Amino acid sequence: MLQDLLKSIRPKLPIQNPLHAFVHNNILQTFEHLDFHEAVAQAGKLYRGRPYWETYRYTQLYADEKMTDADIFRAVDHYLGRYAPVPSLSVLGLTPKEYFYRLMFSELSFNDDEVQPKITDQSLWEHCQEKVQGEALVLSRSRTFLRGKEYWEKYYNESYSTALQPLAIRLISSYLDQGQSFWANPFRGQGFWSFFLYDLEVQTPYANGWLQTLTQKGQTYRGQTPEQVIEAELRLTGLPESQWEDYLLEILFDLKGWSGMVNKLETEPWQAPVKAPEIRLVDYLAALVMMDRAMDEFHAQAHSLDLSLLYGRREPLELRSYQLALALYQVTLTFKLPSRWMRDLSSRQLISIIDEVDGSEHRDRARLWHEAYEHHFHREALEALKGHQVGQLTFAHRPYAQIMFCIDDREESLRRHTEEVDGEVETFGVVGFFGIDMNFVSVKNKRPIAQCPPVITPSRIIHEVPVSDAKAFQRWNLLRGTSDLGLYYNTRTLFRGFLATLTLGVASLIPMTIQVFFPRHNRFLRRKLRDLFGREPETELQVLGTDPGVGYSHVEQAQIVLAVIRMCGPRELARLVLLLAHGSSSNNNPFRQAYGCGACGGNAGIPNSRAFAKMANDPIVRAEVEKLGYRIPEETFFVAGFHDTCTDEILYMNQKEVPATHREDFDRLKHHLKEAAQRNAFERCQRFSSFDQTTGLAGAIGHVRERAHDIAQPRPEYGHSSNALAIVGRRRLTRGLFMNRRSFLLSYDWTTDPDSSVLRQVVLGGIPVAVNINMDYYFSAVDNDNFGCGSKLPLNMTSLLGVMTGSQSDLRIGLARQMVEIHDPIRNLTVIEAPLARVQALFDGHPRLKNLLYHHWMRLAVIDPESQKWWMFSQSDFQEISFEGPVLKGFTSSLDLLKRHEASDFAEINHGE
Amino acid sequence: MANSLFTLMIFSPLLWMGVLALLFFSQMKLAEERLSNALKYYSLYMVFLALSLAVVTFLHRPSFLLVDFPDWFQVGDYEFKLRFIVDLLGATYALLATALIGVIFRFSRNYLHREPGYFRFVFLLSTLLFGLIVVSFSRSIDLLFIGWELVGTASVLLISYFYDKSQPVVHATRAIISYRICDMGILAGAAWSHHYLHTTDFVIIPTLLDHGHGGVGLVFIGLFITWASLAKAGQLPMCSWLPAAMEGPTPSSAIFYGALSVHLGPFLLLRFYDYFAHFPILLVLVGLIGGLSAIYATLVGRTRSDAKTMLAYATISQVGLIYIEIALGFTGLALFHMVTHASLRTYQFLRSSSLIQDFYENPVVEHNKTIQRKLFFERLFSVSVRQRVYVHALHGFHLDYFTGRIIAGFLFPMRVYLKWEARWMEFDTRLLKFLLRKK
Repeated sequence: MLQDLLKSIRPKLPIQNPLHAFVHNNILQTFEHLDFHEAVAQAGKLYRGRPYWETYRYTQLYADEKMTDADIFRAVDHYLGRYAPVPSLSVLGLTPKEYFYRLMFSELSFNDDEVQPKITDQSLWEHCQEKVQGEALVLSRSRTFLRGKEYWEKYYNESYSTALQPLAIRLISSYLDQGQSFWANPFRGQGFWSFFLYDLEVQTPYANGWLQTLTQKGQTYRGQTPEQVIEAELRLTGLPESQWEDYLLEILFDLKGWSGMVNKLETEPWQAPVKAPEIRLVDYLAALVMMDRAMDEFHAQAHSLDLSLLYGRREPLELRSYQLALALYQVTLTFKLPSRWMRDLSSRQLISIIDEVDGSEHRDRARLWHEAYEHHFHREALEALKGHQVGQLTFAHRPYAQIMFCIDDREESLRRHTEEVDGEVETFGVVGFFGIDMNFVSVKNKRPIAQCPPVITPSRIIHEVPVSDAKAFQRWNLLRGTSDLGLYYNTRTLFRGFLATLTLGVASLIPMTIQVFFPRHNRFLRRKLRDLFGREPETELQVLGTDPGVGYSHVEQAQIVLAVIRMCGPRELARLVLLLAHGSSSNNNPFRQAYGCGACGGNAGIPNSRAFAKMANDPIVRAEVEKLGYRIPEETFFVAGFHDTCTDEILYMNQKEVPATHREDFDRLKHHLKEAAQRNAFERCQRFSSFDQTTGLAGAIGHVRERAHDIAQPRPEYGHSSNALAIVGRRRLTRGLFMNRRSFLLSYDWTTDPDSSVLRQVVLGGIPVAVNINMDYYFSAVDNDNFGCGSKLPLNMTSLLGVMTGSQSDLRIGLARQMVEIHDPIRNLTVIEAPLARVQALFDGHPRLKNLLYHHWMRLAVIDPESQKWWMFSQSDFQEISFEGPVLKGFTSSLDLLKRHEASDFAEINHGE
Repeated sequence: MANSLFTLMIFSPLLWMGVLALLFFSQMKLAEERLSNALKYYSLYMVFLALSLAVVTFLHRPSFLLVDFPDWFQVGDYEFKLRFIVDLLGATYALLATALIGVIFRFSRNYLHREPGYFRFVFLLSTLLFGLIVVSFSRSIDLLFIGWELVGTASVLLISYFYDKSQPVVHATRAIISYRICDMGILAGAAWSHHYLHTTDFVIIPTLLDHGHGGVGLVFIGLFITWASLAKAGQLPMCSWLPAAMEGPTPSSAIFYGALSVHLGPFLLLRFYDYFAHFPILLVLVGLIGGLSAIYATLVGRTRSDAKTMLAYATISQVGLIYIEIALGFTGLALFHMVTHASLRTYQFLRSSSLIQDFYENPVVEHNKTIQRKLFFERLFSVSVRQRVYVHALHGFHLDYFTGRIIAGFLFPMRVYLKWEARWMEFDTRLLKFLLRKK
């Protein structure tokens, strides 16, 4: 019984990892079997969040001409196509289109006492009042309440958040802690339930108020299992069994972050930052249910109320005759109805219309706005792609260098700038872990780090080993680690704290001053210090492995190398191939992991590009590759590179190994990439309002570096903000098209892939990641307080797991407000250049992709290269897109565009012309 | 020269606040960038002033400077004197305050970028600075109280910085109640002192005592002052509000509860030290409070698992030690401890967001292996003892319960009164009904 309940409850809980292992997820991933709008409405109830923006933001966009009437009509049309719960329109004398259009622009407030419309038309107003004299209406969207919480808060001003939650949070956070507090919780091995009961026992003599009720409960339940307790309490509520799940979910979602974390650490204990304590959701749930019930019982007793009447009570959202008249008045004006429309209607009919309009307003309005807004952007994007001069990508001769970027939307701009700076470089976009699914162990840290997308379980372990003398480094590293930990604990105690304060206190002014006033020198000084005491040794990756689970064999290496090359689909490999992994440096930032490479589990991709270059440069591996049917030219050299998306620095990990014959080309590439990175920094700076525009390109690079190393910086970079597209296809589709860092770019050449095996690899590797990122940003942006993490300013690290707001709160989920403040919540539009049938087959054949597509968690357009037709997936099938022949603005370079402060997302870059 | 330096020191922040207030009331929208630029120069200027003043006072120690401004107002016999004392204690504290607030201003420039409440934040921190300078240099309790209140107000308003959320407001209320209870101590101390000695002047009181003015009644001044210092310093029994006060932006928590506001308690005692030295019994009391608070806070702090609350308890325990140092007569050490402790805590608060990554990257912390620490606690006591101590400490040794009981005790007469009043009302109603009944 309870097991079944738990089984259906678990997937509904938030799925976020502890922060050190943050990965972007569709936070409603477990709702993907539902239609998007249906799912967000359901989740909105659970999370108590708003699934779309507030309407005023959309109307603002409309006023700014970010969408047009055409978009709105289209959204309405679409809506009517599958869903027509239109109130008795014949009575109103409106067409559905008129109805929804006017509804979208209305500001109805039926049961809101504060916002009341001004009465301008006195005679109409009197008429309305007359019509509904003495009537009342209980709106049909009234909610059923399963427990006392809202009731106490509303009528007795008794807040759960000041009584129940502090206790619950204190217990669970101290139990889940893995080293942040000085004392480890001595109950760790015994389970949360026994901790809870013991705690109640200790508290008994000191309890009053609801706590007394709780401790009494604790005594009655001594010796019982949590399962028994939950069941007993559920029976006591008197709720029908069909509502038990909702009841438990409501309790769990009061502390949704902690509930999700408990579930996570129970089901995936390896995600814990250090070592997960023994924790079971059922223990935690039993404790919460007991507390909640104790609170209800206490209040019921104090206010002499019968609990059985409270449970399952309907919250009356009632309109009295005055409000009804107001509603009628608003309806008349909003829908521009003639004043006589209600003459022949009975008051019953009128009331039912009001109810329907009210429901429709709450259900449809924001949703329609959202659809219209999305549609506008998607159309703009597709038109830009269509209008873009395809086919100009013909290299006069073989490119001297090729760069494999990550598919990340943040690399779109760097790719573009690189091509503009040096027209003879060919670029590709592949998933940035380069097909290497490894656990990486660096020389700095014994902890294995999963360097692959979170959906893949790493199959191998790869060690980094020093090749030069590493003794000093290891000694220094160990010393640093031990002293860091020692200082952390011992500055916070009494006597050791006393000694530490007296000796180190004034000294701490030095690092504080440097870090606050001279952030850029901070890193420099740190490096100097490290070089002085323990220079990092030269290292090597042991990619070749013989033991099972360690390293890859030559054949496996060849397969990995070939897979990546196939995905990029170059005609021929150039002399230099640069693998540009990426990551992001930031300081004092609890969300650092969210800025890293999503394909490398949020870490920097350095080990991956290094490992790949090592594999691909190995002659034995090349021979194996040749056996598999592909020849890597002998002169081709693979360079392992790394792009820091925050500082726009580019590092080369194996530049010493570049053969002398390639030196000249390599230097040229390096030089040009540096220039491109500088332009990239300038482009990024356009979004930072604290950037001084007069300092130009040189100032930009300084500005972004300062951001990265500043401990006071809540926005080191804007991450994936404004991502909205994913384009799968050859670069000729997009080369020379300015896309304002809004698109993931995945290389795929359909001509070299007859059996669509590569298509499958590319789409499966990239699109779910893109959708996850997109959805994470979506929810954090539409309602940052409930789906996101709130402001970064008062965050408080807790239990090494996550953050709370202020001194104590729920464990926050999602992204912080400062990270998403410039994001436009738009569902991802994926554009694939491949024959339609192949794409269809691929999506139909993969369960998650199918859900994403058919339930509208993403949009899909297909450019069929064979028929030259463009298709868009609309309701449940593909429909051909008609274009209106837009004109893209042209600029000589992206830099030119940026300097003119062009506001549009898409533009043509015709360099040199 | 010191005289004019000091005049600048006290009037500049006032002028600065005046300018900010003018800007606010004239509804001029000051661009964030301009404000933070102005702040840069302002804080540099203030640090320069405070530094020069500190150097001058240091060179002339142990003599100190008295600065008198004309009286503010006069009521009957009472004159409100604007008299200041510039000594090493005040100058050091003022230097600490300007320096740390300078750091916080610079930090907030990026941290509160694009924040709608930035202006409010700056204004409140400016208020804090002015309040601290007044407290540092005032020569009498009457004057000190002004600065004391400004600091308290700024603190409460910054706890409730996010006033659209309920929790910050609740905790700000808690803070203000604690403050007010203890502020009564200052007022009572001032009244008592006026009554017995006709002055509250820190310079005059000790000389009066030296000349044999005495009597048991004078002990009460010290009792009240000790009482007054407790809330700001977060000492027992007024310590549960402090860990709950971490609701504002991190830099404001750092500057108030890691550094400047929390050390005002020991500062007040140091100001009064010459007086306290006459009453060893008071010093014993101060030492006891400090010792108990230190032990209490360190035990409770050991069970806390979030960064800021943990730091709050750590701060309380160190401030407790400073109380002990004062009680033992090590005033120099106490002052040094205050400065060094304030710096360390500010730094730790500001860097508290790095914690998770610091642990994650630490080579000593391994995956799936509990962090091994050789704790005396774990070696000396059995599990059952540890569990009991742990749970008690987790609940702050039920301090809130006991305070609640005490408050309920105070409220007992009120409850009795209310009960009787209710009965009377009932009777009254019946009587009226009876009189007005329809015949």
